[in-house]
Amino acid sequence: MSSLECAREDLVLGAVLAGRWPSADEELVAHAQQCEICREVAEVAVVLRADHDHARREVHVPVAGQVWWRSAVRARLESAQAATRPMAWLHGVTAAIALGVLFAIIGMAWPSLIVAADWAREVAAPLIANGEVSGAVSGVLRQSMVIAVAAAAGLLVAPVLLYFVLSND
Amino acid sequence: MRELALTDMERLGAFDEAERTFQMTEEAFRVFYELTARPVRAYLGRMTNDDRLADDLLQETYYKFLRSNAVFDSDDHRKHYLFRIATNLVHDHRRRPRVEVPASTAAQEALAAPVDAHNADRAAARIDLSRAMEHLKPRERSLLWLAYAQGWSHEEIASAIGVKTASLKGMLFRARHRLAVILRNPGGRS
Repeated sequence: MSSLECAREDLVLGAVLAGRWPSADEELVAHAQQCEICREVAEVAVVLRADHDHARREVHVPVAGQVWWRSAVRARLESAQAATRPMAWLHGVTAAIALGVLFAIIGMAWPSLIVAADWAREVAAPLIANGEVSGAVSGVLRQSMVIAVAAAAGLLVAPVLLYFVLSND
Repeated sequence: MRELALTDMERLGAFDEAERTFQMTEEAFRVFYELTARPVRAYLGRMTNDDRLADDLLQETYYKFLRSNAVFDSDDHRKHYLFRIATNLVHDHRRRPRVEVPASTAAQEALAAPVDAHNADRAAARIDLSRAMEHLKPRERSLLWLAYAQGWSHEEIASAIGVKTASLKGMLFRARHRLAVILRNPGGRS
């Protein structure tokens, strides 16, 4: 036996757990008084076992059905939450794709926009040269205003819509 | 993100669903619970020194047990797994930042209990034990409780708290010695 254990400590522990300590056989009790390991086993086991017996008598535990019911409801709730998680991801991916498509369209249309701007400048130049400045400006403004307002509305409303769609998930 | 709530119908559906998703039937669970609930609750109470927390962790322990996919080869194996979940939950809780330090359970009981000499002695012994256990590491508390309160073998303890059986003897010896020294001298510390 090493100094960490005694051959008789299991007997001492068995007597304590069975409620036969210190009324167990006298020889074992006498041994425990001499053996430091068995003495400590008895000291600690008596206190812990008494606390354990008291706790087992006094604690109140919910009935099995209640624990089962709570667990069932929680499992259902967690399943529902897990099911909605991919939907949130889907909305995010959709928004990212939409933004990508928007930038792609702008990129592809950019040369055409420059050509259109040049054309507008050529059309407006003679009008301005003829002194019809106010008419030319108001005409251009009238045409571009609709596009500008639509673009601004899109820029403002899109993030707000996106926010509400994602926050509902 | 919006909080999900279940309707009454969904709650009723949850009951049927539980039979499919949990690892045992309600009837089997009832039998297992009757055998294990009090020992697990007593263990959690001594590990946390907080009745309310022990009650919460008891529910959590059984929930995690029911959701687990573990396969058991015996009732003892199932019981050890349950205690392992309880042990891990206590350790997880201790790692979280503390909001308040609860008064010890034994101290609360002692204040509420009627005073007679016998009860007073036993209450005092429980307070001493509570205070002594607070000076031990969580793993030492688990070891001592399972070995000397529950009377488990080294193999059973190793299985429940996830340590090697070979190293358990030394750990148990050191934990027991520390507790014995503190209990002999409640005012001073080892």
